[in-house]
Amino acid sequence: MDFFTNIALAFSVIFQPMNLLFCFIGCIIGVLVGVLPGLGPPAAIALLMPSTFLMSPVAAIIMLAGIYYGAMYGGSTTSILVNIPGEAASVVTCLDGYQMARQGRAGPALGISAFGSFIAGTIATILIMMVAPPLANFALKFGPPEYFCLMLLGLTLVTSLGRGSLIKGLMMAAVGIFLGTIGTDIISGQERFTYGSYTLLDGLSFIPVIMGLFGIPEVLEVLEGPLRREIYKTKISNLLPNLKDWKDSIGAIIRGSFLGFFVGMLPGGGPMIASLAAYATEKRISRHPEKFGTGVIEGVAAPEAANNSASQGAFIPLLALGVPGNATMAVLMGALLIHGIKPGPFLINRNPDLFWGVIGSMYVGNLMLLILNLPLIGMWVKFLKIPYPILFPMILLFTLIGSYSVNNNIWDVFSMLLFGIIGYVMKKFEYEGAPLILALVLSPLMENALRQSLILSHGSFGIFFTRPIALVLFVMAMLSMGSQLLPDFRKKISKIEG
Amino acid sequence: MAWLGLALFIGVEVWRKLPVGEWQDPGAGFWPLGAAFLLGGLSVVNFLKSFFDKSPEDLEPWYPRQRWRTIVLIMASLMAYVFLLEWIGFVLGTFLLLVYLFRSAEPQRWVVAIGGSALITITTYFIFDIWLKTQLPKGILGF
Repeated sequence: MDFFTNIALAFSVIFQPMNLLFCFIGCIIGVLVGVLPGLGPPAAIALLMPSTFLMSPVAAIIMLAGIYYGAMYGGSTTSILVNIPGEAASVVTCLDGYQMARQGRAGPALGISAFGSFIAGTIATILIMMVAPPLANFALKFGPPEYFCLMLLGLTLVTSLGRGSLIKGLMMAAVGIFLGTIGTDIISGQERFTYGSYTLLDGLSFIPVIMGLFGIPEVLEVLEGPLRREIYKTKISNLLPNLKDWKDSIGAIIRGSFLGFFVGMLPGGGPMIASLAAYATEKRISRHPEKFGTGVIEGVAAPEAANNSASQGAFIPLLALGVPGNATMAVLMGALLIHGIKPGPFLINRNPDLFWGVIGSMYVGNLMLLILNLPLIGMWVKFLKIPYPILFPMILLFTLIGSYSVNNNIWDVFSMLLFGIIGYVMKKFEYEGAPLILALVLSPLMENALRQSLILSHGSFGIFFTRPIALVLFVMAMLSMGSQLLPDFRKKISKIEG
Repeated sequence: MAWLGLALFIGVEVWRKLPVGEWQDPGAGFWPLGAAFLLGGLSVVNFLKSFFDKSPEDLEPWYPRQRWRTIVLIMASLMAYVFLLEWIGFVLGTFLLLVYLFRSAEPQRWVVAIGGSALITITTYFIFDIWLKTQLPKGILGF
């Protein structure tokens, strides 16, 4: 199929009424997740996954994907108006966005953020169409050793590009690998760590684990601090940026879009690193770097374009290679598997409606988000005003019902709360949840690939060093663990965040 | 050290119950044993690192100075909800939990707590039990 046939397929799928409806619902929930504190995209997607069991796989993934990129739009609203990032990916938008709001320029800041995100989303959609099919074709050459090394690379990149200590990240990956082994061994049929529990025979249900690790600790952390948020009282007007605003920010939007896309594509990259990298790049090439942080529009345009583009680029490793690049993609991979679809190089040929439908939904979803975020900005600001003491019981209730509805099993709710407590303590000791979740999802696949590789090579680890693609991926995985290679970047991330 | 304990537990359980197999045919215990070695080794490195890198910040308590009691009570109420849910049923259990949560962190007026709890309980019951056909626990009251 050529490029234009694929585009036609993408739009024919997304313009089916049900798919359009679920794309819209996903975008609305995504913006809401971005605007409201205490619930990030991984927990929100995990929470809503059981509600997709009755949908078609295409509609389900379109809705869940909408939540992810929709959250990027919503996150900027709180960064600009409240100086609190709704999402980790909007941390850097606070620096100049909030300053613009203080100077009475909240309108242009919100406007350029929405337009920048839309332009970036459009560029990213086109880039996905160009990059994913050849990459999937290339990945058809992969055997078990290549897949093992690719997943190893994904895991090490997520760990090494994370915010915390490399050792702690690797420890979390090891815990995730162990948790992924609970259940029945698919090769020998032997039970592992089940202790007679029928619930554990199919493995640890990952939806409650995700909700526990990402949902509960966020709520508890917000409860620790002041519960009243100061919304900067300013009249939000002139949402359409003027000619000078456009002139100042169009370059930043284009650069942020491309940079964001390629960072997002990297396993472990993701929207947060993309937004930080875009901000750092703009500051470096700017003729007035000293003004960054005082309310310059490029400081809003670049990271917002980058995080949106990255959130779409992150679909490439998942859809084309079958390897999730971050925690949210790991959750989406779980959703695909639950719906009986195996992500990977065969996905494009076996489920073209799903692949191209999701891509089409990204473009249409971006258009919906532009409309949702500009004329309806007042509505989202009203959501910001909901007092947290009213909001948090609802978030907690949704995590309880969400984890119960996975299997209609009370054990899943208990497991969610247990991981909630573990996640809260982990946060306090600066252990990140993302490597654990990624390892939990990848563990059975990695084990399978490793055992198949060793059977193929009659027990020789040389198979990973004699096959060129496997060797390159393995070397890259080892290099990524040498965190000394990226000290400057890690320092910059901490500095900008700190 | 808790992670080292987990690594030891995995190692002992694999040794007791699971075959590790051979290089050319790894068994069911091979992969979890690898995870145990990785976790155990890194736990030791992390322990030594934190021992030598001790800063004054490490002497600060890890739990929040403010509202720690509220956080503990909220988690305890959620646990109690889970243990009692199948007995008292979704509607009554959720209503009671929500009333408690609305009154916990920053106490809302009783009208808001009771009215809000009733509204949310009924709405979620209709969405999840009736619309999405999630079989929520009925309990002694039958709903």
